[in-house]
Amino acid sequence: MFIQVTLSLLEGFSMTLKIFLLTLALALPLGLIISFGSMTRLTPVRWLVRTFIWIIRGTPLMLQLIVIYYGPGLVAAWAATKGGNPIFNMIASWTVPERFAAVIIAFVINYACYFSEIYRGGIEAIPRGQYEAGQVLGMTRIQIFFRVVLLQVVKHIVPPMSNEIITLVKDTSLARIIMVYEIIWNAQKFIKSDGLLWPLFYTGVYYLLFCGILTLLFRYIEKRLDYFR
Amino acid sequence: MKILEIKNLYKSFGKTGVLHGVNFSMEEGEVVSIIGASGSGKTTLLRCINFLERADSGQVLLDGQVLFDAENQGRLTGKELRKKQLNFGLVFQDFNLFPQYNVLDNVMLAPRLLAKERPDFKANRKAIFSEIEETARGLLNRVGLGDKLTNYPCELSGGQKQRVSIARALALKPRILFFDEPTSALDPELTGEILKVIRKLAEEHITMVIVTHEIDFASNVSDKVIFMADGIVVEEGPPSQVIDHPQNERTRSFLQKLNEK
Repeated sequence: MFIQVTLSLLEGFSMTLKIFLLTLALALPLGLIISFGSMTRLTPVRWLVRTFIWIIRGTPLMLQLIVIYYGPGLVAAWAATKGGNPIFNMIASWTVPERFAAVIIAFVINYACYFSEIYRGGIEAIPRGQYEAGQVLGMTRIQIFFRVVLLQVVKHIVPPMSNEIITLVKDTSLARIIMVYEIIWNAQKFIKSDGLLWPLFYTGVYYLLFCGILTLLFRYIEKRLDYFR
Repeated sequence: MKILEIKNLYKSFGKTGVLHGVNFSMEEGEVVSIIGASGSGKTTLLRCINFLERADSGQVLLDGQVLFDAENQGRLTGKELRKKQLNFGLVFQDFNLFPQYNVLDNVMLAPRLLAKERPDFKANRKAIFSEIEETARGLLNRVGLGDKLTNYPCELSGGQKQRVSIARALALKPRILFFDEPTSALDPELTGEILKVIRKLAEEHITMVIVTHEIDFASNVSDKVIFMADGIVVEEGPPSQVIDHPQNERTRSFLQKLNEK
């Protein structure tokens, strides 16, 4: 039984990992783009982006998952009752998205917003003199960002980023709300099928081990960036 | 011919006027010191000349050619602006070294990036880079940091950092080197090493403009001293005149206050 549970949880954990890695890979760059939007001199864009961040950070991820998964179908059903108008017809053709896609979309948007605020903090912490020094040395804006600013930003944001990323590992368990079979779902199955509760507790070991590895990784990165201040 | 001419420079930040028509000029090889109370516009003047601020009106001429004209600045592309900027070097009050690069790389970074724009870069990459490195090592030796090449800025004293930043500015061979209160962020016992380096550069006839509060230093290193107050040049001339025998009442009272300290 133990082996059977271990394997089933491992299978569930591979889904957990998939959500985690895909979210990270997409939300890290998207967050940087959003952070530029929240710092732009174009006032309407800045307000739009900041309002969006406010909405995403101000509502539960679980609610966002539900909205993204069930929302399109509900809107389509409503549009179908209206009919006639080509726009309504188009909306009426929306279908319920793929569960996994819905999870990734919700997680990426949510985490990109949190990441963007971390990036913003990191970028704004760089003294103006760094940009000015690059400028009087004839460097382009792009060179200043990549050669001078970026590594300093990375150093600033490793601690808050690692915090957020470790939270993401555990937030993946929310995916089961729209029936994506990650590790907690697989553990709960054993309650129904075999009346076993311990597999649920056992999932904690997977999370702990994985977060332990991440913690070591982040500590290593911090050490590597320790050579400058 | 004048190497630098500043004509009628005005600058305000919002409603606060900082420069109210600054005029001055200098010859190649001269050392000019700008003195004056805090808030008199000295730093803003340097920043305008170095394209870090845009003057509201006025002109900057280099070798008699218009380098900056407030009238038609909007049309400058980034590339043109950078090219103009490179005529000048600027040493900041708080150094602004790049913390993630060691001393040698701080000095080499900008020249290396610029070299990539040279048409013969691909063919001569190795030769160009080794020439840049040689220049950088030479400069760091000149400022007395030949033994700190692989140290990072956080391992240096303030005076050493400022010497690196002087070498970094010199590496791009600017026509004129500007100093914005180069010793103000340093402990008093460290100012001497910076002043010594600047004095050495003056002996090598490097054209320099120095904003400073070190009156004695200004007096014996400069060919010309400019006293600024309230955004204009109040008095200018050789140090023997401006500092030892000031004509203007405001210059006199400024120097007096300094002496009382």
